[in-house]
Amino acid sequence: MELRKLLKGSLLAGAFVAASATTALAEFPERNIEVIHPWGPGNAMAMSQVVAKAMGEELGTDMPVISLPGAAGTKAQTTAMGKPADGYTVFDGYVAPLVLQPILGNADWNFKDFKPLSAAVANAFAIAGQVGETRWSNFEEMMAYCKDNRGELRYSSGSRNNLPHMVIAKALQSYDCVAQNVPYTQDGNVFKDLGSKVLDFAFVNVGNFRSNPDKVKILLVLSELPSSKKAFHGAPTIGELGVDLGLSNLGPMGWTWWIVNPDTPDDVTEKLRGAMERAMARQDVKDAVEAIGFVPLEWDHTKYEEIVGGVDSQLNSMGNALAWEEEELKKLN
Amino acid sequence: MSCCRSASGTSLSRGRCAVIFDFLSAGLDVFLSPIALGLTFAGIVVGLVVGAMPGLGPLMGIILLLPVAIGLPPVAAMGFLIAIFVGGSCGGSISAILLRIPGTPLAAATLYDGYPMAQKGRASDAIGIAITSSAIGGLIGGVVLVFCAPILASFAANFAPPEYAMLAIMGLFAIVVISGGSIIKGLLAGSFGLLISTVGTDSFSTGLRFTFGSHNLLNGFHIVAVVVGLFAISEMAAQMMKRDLLKIPDVKVARPGLHTITLTLKHWVNLIRSSAIGTFFGAIPGAGGVISSFTSYAVAKAAAKPGEVYGEGAEGGVVATESANNSTVGGTLVPTLSLGIPGDASSAMLLGALLILGFIPGPAMFENNPDVVGGIFMVYLASNIFLLVAGILATPLFVYVLRIPKVYLIPSILLLCSIGTFALQASVFDLQIMLVFGLIGILFRSADYPLAPVVIGMILGPILEANLRRSLLISREGYWIFLDRPVSAVLVSINVLLLLAMVYLTVQRMRGAKETALAKAMSAED
Repeated sequence: MELRKLLKGSLLAGAFVAASATTALAEFPERNIEVIHPWGPGNAMAMSQVVAKAMGEELGTDMPVISLPGAAGTKAQTTAMGKPADGYTVFDGYVAPLVLQPILGNADWNFKDFKPLSAAVANAFAIAGQVGETRWSNFEEMMAYCKDNRGELRYSSGSRNNLPHMVIAKALQSYDCVAQNVPYTQDGNVFKDLGSKVLDFAFVNVGNFRSNPDKVKILLVLSELPSSKKAFHGAPTIGELGVDLGLSNLGPMGWTWWIVNPDTPDDVTEKLRGAMERAMARQDVKDAVEAIGFVPLEWDHTKYEEIVGGVDSQLNSMGNALAWEEEELKKLN
Repeated sequence: MSCCRSASGTSLSRGRCAVIFDFLSAGLDVFLSPIALGLTFAGIVVGLVVGAMPGLGPLMGIILLLPVAIGLPPVAAMGFLIAIFVGGSCGGSISAILLRIPGTPLAAATLYDGYPMAQKGRASDAIGIAITSSAIGGLIGGVVLVFCAPILASFAANFAPPEYAMLAIMGLFAIVVISGGSIIKGLLAGSFGLLISTVGTDSFSTGLRFTFGSHNLLNGFHIVAVVVGLFAISEMAAQMMKRDLLKIPDVKVARPGLHTITLTLKHWVNLIRSSAIGTFFGAIPGAGGVISSFTSYAVAKAAAKPGEVYGEGAEGGVVATESANNSTVGGTLVPTLSLGIPGDASSAMLLGALLILGFIPGPAMFENNPDVVGGIFMVYLASNIFLLVAGILATPLFVYVLRIPKVYLIPSILLLCSIGTFALQASVFDLQIMLVFGLIGILFRSADYPLAPVVIGMILGPILEANLRRSLLISREGYWIFLDRPVSAVLVSINVLLLLAMVYLTVQRMRGAKETALAKAMSAED
């Protein structure tokens, strides 16, 4: 009798726990999930909306993308991580706030402090010069000119202290070239001022280049990926340079890995991961991402430490090229 | 110069005009589908609503509905989004006119004359004029977009940091013109706007300015939270002080008809001039609709006929601001479509939408996808016509708001302001900023300081600072860069002349005021 009671009780308790667990899983998501995006409105935000829409469809909810630009993405990341760890806030973790700013001492976190969902996309940059340039015909000649004429050239990496700035500064340091960086807040204006010969060289992204391939001359693609070389019409890549910048794979590229607060419950995280992986595997999402000029990434969360860790150590070991550039410019002034 | 010339201007090319008509004809085929027509009309309605709601605006409307649009056929999708842009750019004037609250910063200059018109019982006329001016201004911007895009884009592409800095200074002169009562108070309010625009991360040194350790301030104050606070909260506070909270206002709701078109067309010089200013500022990436509406207002006020008292309900004031800010939309589409360089944040989202839909904006799109380019031209032109129809039909509904007793109206508006401001960045901090600036707005009003110069200072401050510093970094000869470049040198000369003229007129005005006061005192003694 006692045994029957115990069995009955156990079964009831088991059923209750199972039902509760199922209900808890079925309950998430009960409402919209916010995606915090660290940049202003533009191509990158449109791309995040594509991924968020697909992921929302997989989860059966809406995932509005909220733009919170400021301080190279650290404002958005701080805000996202300050929200409750309930899975209703996902951060669009670009390399700048996630890896670069901590290296520069502008953020007190490490990429390991977060739970990854899945890799999202990457985008390649290139260094472009003016069309009809007579002072040089390729990147190495430009570096030689720059070395002989320290401080004369003007270039832009878009924002200051972003990834293109660090990579370009490292390239310039490798050739002992000192040039004046001119910060811009809108990438489109960088392209415009390079095209109208106000700047000597600048970083360009695939989107801007594809709109006006005849307005600039690509000197160096900041990526080793064949797809990036193709996107920039077969221009030379950093892998073909005479010097080793110590950058490979995602190291010199912009990319985003969607992350959540580390205290997010595991079951919720798993649900988000599954939805994002299914979304990123969809052909319509891949097509849309490629149409904007980004490359879809297919790594799941298990590769996070390996891939992001690799970038972190590459950027760390690049030394402080930005500080070198600043010191050299001060000497000239 | 005809826009049918080639971009180089070397030869008159009938071929180019023929190509434009080919675009329009190809675009007409894809535009004349029920889905494209329906969504363009729906976009106008959505745009008017998000524009009229304080806090929201065309950018927020586009961001919210982009995920819906990207699943649609290309021209229908772009029609929907562009119509939101067009409707939203006009919608802000409705709350500015009815409630003295600009629905978007774009409409901050409209309340100068729109609200006094409403107070004089001409709310329907004011809204009708705003909508008609917006539609005609938009159509003028559209004609420029269709016929002159490559030429205007190549001209605008030569605007570099020195030219932007000089344009920003020119925009600041608008403060003097719109200040009305006291120029000193206007300048102080403008300086306050410049000061608060410095808060946040300095994009040149990456240093933090006046952030006081708060990550919420890393990007400064959100302009919309500031505008809603300054105008809406202070206005609602002022309304609450009156003793008519329960009174049902006796407002005559008249449907604006064709006569508002006649009223608008009476100001045809102002209309064309303001639309040209708006299109010009729109075509320069980063300049924006707020500068164009304030500049147009300042120019219209300076060129006013005797008897036209701006600031007290002059129709010309509404015509100037609304035609300018809607023609800016056509202007922003010029670099967006021709060069793939967005003119402002809203057109950046449109550019993103085009890319997702599989089209790369730029010269190649004109060659490879004439139907899509033509379709976009058509939806833009049609949006402005739909705006006129939808706006005039819906005006009685809008004006009906004035018949709601304040005891219901005030809390409803405060609720809408809070929802709109929170929705910007899903941020409670923005709500706090809105309330703080509401308090500042109350103080400004009680001391009779104008509020609009704060908005001008806050918008032009970052443009001026960044482009001045950028120019000096680019220059190898210091400040000479402003005179070395021909367009910049012309703008420097215009600014110097404007400065001299303003000093002269201000001295004359002060002398006149002194003489009037003296004459009054003497007559009192007699």
